[in-house]
Amino acid sequence: MFFLSEIEHTLMLPPHLLNRPLDEAIKEQLDLIFLDKVSLSLSLSLSLYFLHLLTYTLLADSYFLVKFRLVMFRPFVGEIITARLKESTVDGLRLSLGFFDDIYVPVPFLFSPNRNEPVPGHRNRVNWIWNYMDEDYSVDAEDEIMFKVHDVSYPPIPLEPKDVKPFAPMVVTALLHGGGDLGVKHLDCGEGSIV
Amino acid sequence: MKIIEASAGALTNFELLDLLRSRGAGKDASRAIATVSQSEFKVFDYLEGTVACNQTREIIDNFVAECQKFDLAKAEILNIVNIRPRNEPELFPLIEECESRMEDKAEELVETITRILPPHPSQVDEANEEAAEGEEEETEPEQAAEGEGDGEGQEEEEETEP
Repeated sequence: MFFLSEIEHTLMLPPHLLNRPLDEAIKEQLDLIFLDKVSLSLSLSLSLYFLHLLTYTLLADSYFLVKFRLVMFRPFVGEIITARLKESTVDGLRLSLGFFDDIYVPVPFLFSPNRNEPVPGHRNRVNWIWNYMDEDYSVDAEDEIMFKVHDVSYPPIPLEPKDVKPFAPMVVTALLHGGGDLGVKHLDCGEGSIV
Repeated sequence: MKIIEASAGALTNFELLDLLRSRGAGKDASRAIATVSQSEFKVFDYLEGTVACNQTREIIDNFVAECQKFDLAKAEILNIVNIRPRNEPELFPLIEECESRMEDKAEELVETITRILPPHPSQVDEANEEAAEGEEEETEPEQAAEGEGDGEGQEEEEETEP
């Protein structure tokens, strides 16, 4: 889910940074621009991967032409990833990797057969329960969920604020069933079988 | 801003974890002074929770070399290194057309995986706990005769037995 991208960028260093070691100042500016943002060939950029590839040339005044490599996060379709449960509603599950939260499993992509039970006290939340071999397994917050990436989409930026949820520039649609035993891995299962 | 090369190389989870560790990311109090940002730390935490936390470059090179005979795609090897399937049911989703391509070699591949790639520490702990519980059951009668300090510990263990 991670890969490197080589980027060239013209950077202006603000005056108050010019008396700091160049490497540091440039890295900081690049962090501000690229870190944790969805951009550049549509991926979430994660980290600056310097090695010896960071080169910069002073163009004029405090402009630098910087060449560097970024670590990008973009899962490929068909990749298998483990994540934690973030939200469970009637529309399906929402999973999180810690650094990336917009992974959705819509209802048709859940394990089947299934049913859901509303959680008392929370208006939108439900508990999804999988009925496998006549046993019920519910998805809890501590479980590790293994999913297959079905699609990565980039919804267009809304012109007006639509609802309370913050805008997600990159959305991963995941599926839990199909082609083997994906699904919920119960951490206390001694033999490590995926339930 | 210009993209010189959009895909200059895929990274395994381990390689990214190694990169973050070399920048100073750690699980302890050194967090406050490391030159690693908050969002990078979230990635670090995620990766430490996967099997990548126990891998080394040699292990991965060794595994890729041994995988030559299985005729796997690069993406499949990447998935396997990142996930470390422990048995055939866990392996199936990672390999396209697994049954027709692997036939009876699936078992051999699983054996190669479990032999070369290290498990996650929590899985090792579970296995050790089970082994330890087995031993404790045998030695309990001896320990019961010993001092008061051990008594509380034993009571807790008895309660947690399934």
